Amino acid sequence: MAVCTVYTTQSLNSTCSISTPTKTHLGFHQKQVVFYSTGKRTSKRGSSSSGGPCVITCSAVDSQTVVIGLAADSGCGKSTFMRRLTSVFGGAAEPPRGGNPDSNTLISDMTTVICLDDYHSLDRTGRKEKGVTALDPRANNFDLMYEQVKALKSGVAVDKPIYNHVTGLLDPPELIKPPKILVIEGLHPMFDERVRDLLDFSIYLDISNEVKFAWKIQRDMAERGHSLESIKASIEARKPDFDAFIDPQKQYADAVIEVLPTQLIPGDNEGKVLRVRLIMKEGVKHFSPVYLFDEGSTLSWIPCGRKLTCSYPGIKFHYGPDTYFGNEVSILEMDGQFDRLDELIYVESHLSNISTKFYGEVTQQMLKHADFPGSNNGTGLFQTIVGLKIRDLYEQITTSKTATPLEATKA
Amino acid sequence: MATLTFHSLTGNLERIPASCSCSNPRMSASFHCNSRGEKRVSRMKVKAMGAAKYKGTQMREKQLAEMIEKKVTEAKEVCEGDETSDECKVAWDEVEEVSQAKADLRLRLEIEKKDPLEFFCQENPETEECRVYED
Repeated sequence: MAVCTVYTTQSLNSTCSISTPTKTHLGFHQKQVVFYSTGKRTSKRGSSSSGGPCVITCSAVDSQTVVIGLAADSGCGKSTFMRRLTSVFGGAAEPPRGGNPDSNTLISDMTTVICLDDYHSLDRTGRKEKGVTALDPRANNFDLMYEQVKALKSGVAVDKPIYNHVTGLLDPPELIKPPKILVIEGLHPMFDERVRDLLDFSIYLDISNEVKFAWKIQRDMAERGHSLESIKASIEARKPDFDAFIDPQKQYADAVIEVLPTQLIPGDNEGKVLRVRLIMKEGVKHFSPVYLFDEGSTLSWIPCGRKLTCSYPGIKFHYGPDTYFGNEVSILEMDGQFDRLDELIYVESHLSNISTKFYGEVTQQMLKHADFPGSNNGTGLFQTIVGLKIRDLYEQITTSKTATPLEATKA
Repeated sequence: MATLTFHSLTGNLERIPASCSCSNPRMSASFHCNSRGEKRVSRMKVKAMGAAKYKGTQMREKQLAEMIEKKVTEAKEVCEGDETSDECKVAWDEVEEVSQAKADLRLRLEIEKKDPLEFFCQENPETEECRVYED
């Protein structure tokens, strides 16, 4: 639905016939439509004042794109979180068809996921020359990032560069059309203040060092050339830049998903059983934090017992208010693993404010992607819940826009 | 058909995961105890083919694997002098980049079961890259 304000160079009741073309070619979100009136008012000065154009500026309320920022160090657009998120909205996210096969972008019906590595100002060679890592802000073009995210948010398509992770080069740009939901994923979504202000919601995925090491072992150990030493050296070498440039962004995030080693198994360092904390900022517009039983109270909950039998090491929840970098937050924490479907549904039925549309939706989403990493623990659970909260946020934002009363124009 | 090569590796013992099962069904690390009772990692290298459909993708996998190996060697060399130097940081960052790129490709092939060249090859079936890989 669009609210259109009509500006005319002369009075409306002359001859501004608005014959709308049924199909316009200006793209999905169109800001201005120009009509020519057939007014025959002549003047001695020539035709400049006769039948001038009526310019109709449409502030199409449904073209407002919702922008979500996701800070993660795990590659772009292909991460599990992205897949879960796009799945909540329905449809599979795929790279743009017919384009560069090395594109990092993912597109589904409702969402477009952009990889912020595409805004590298220096390619691999350039970074080597200057001695900067990809984590360094000097390797990234924040001006362009801001311009393009702003454009997409206001309904204008952009030609976005492509950073090719295989060749390490910047490839020719691809056209990105403004989607309903734009997700910007990468190392620096909240680094630049201007970009931060464009975000409707932001998430930071905070993986602890022990878990990062365990995951990278799983990722890299089978590769020729890698060893425990090389994996460890790579993490250590990147740590200073990571701590200086990436980590500080978590204070700005509306939700932080913190992944830590479990406390249920003493001395465990496998990184298989995880303790995951969902740190949710209070007072964020359109976002009501998830809670357990009694909002604002503090409690620990072990669902395993008489009604629910769990296998080792079980499941333990914690919920309570806290402060995080000076912000009021609520923290929901899960330690342990789901082994069976009924454990998952039992837990789901005790959580509140999870923004599901039907009972069991979280469980259903988790089952849908049972082969994804984290499907049996807090990472999958909280990623799925955050996905549902984002859907809720999106619906709230779009509903509030269409509820704005139409402005009548007066000539 | 997979060929298996075993390498044994002395790792940093306190940090070795007791079991390292990956989401990737083709690969796993197993452990055994040597005569001194120390835990050693046996790394199973699986050269299994089958997930990549097109030759171009298979070439790319190979290319990335070679790059990882090359860049790890480079990083070790560069860092020998000064571990805290910029060159050293950048070298290991490159290792991370290509490792992640390879992992992303693998994830795409195995979990999504889609070859990244799928759409390209539908339009251009005649190109060298789009020859269907046969085992």
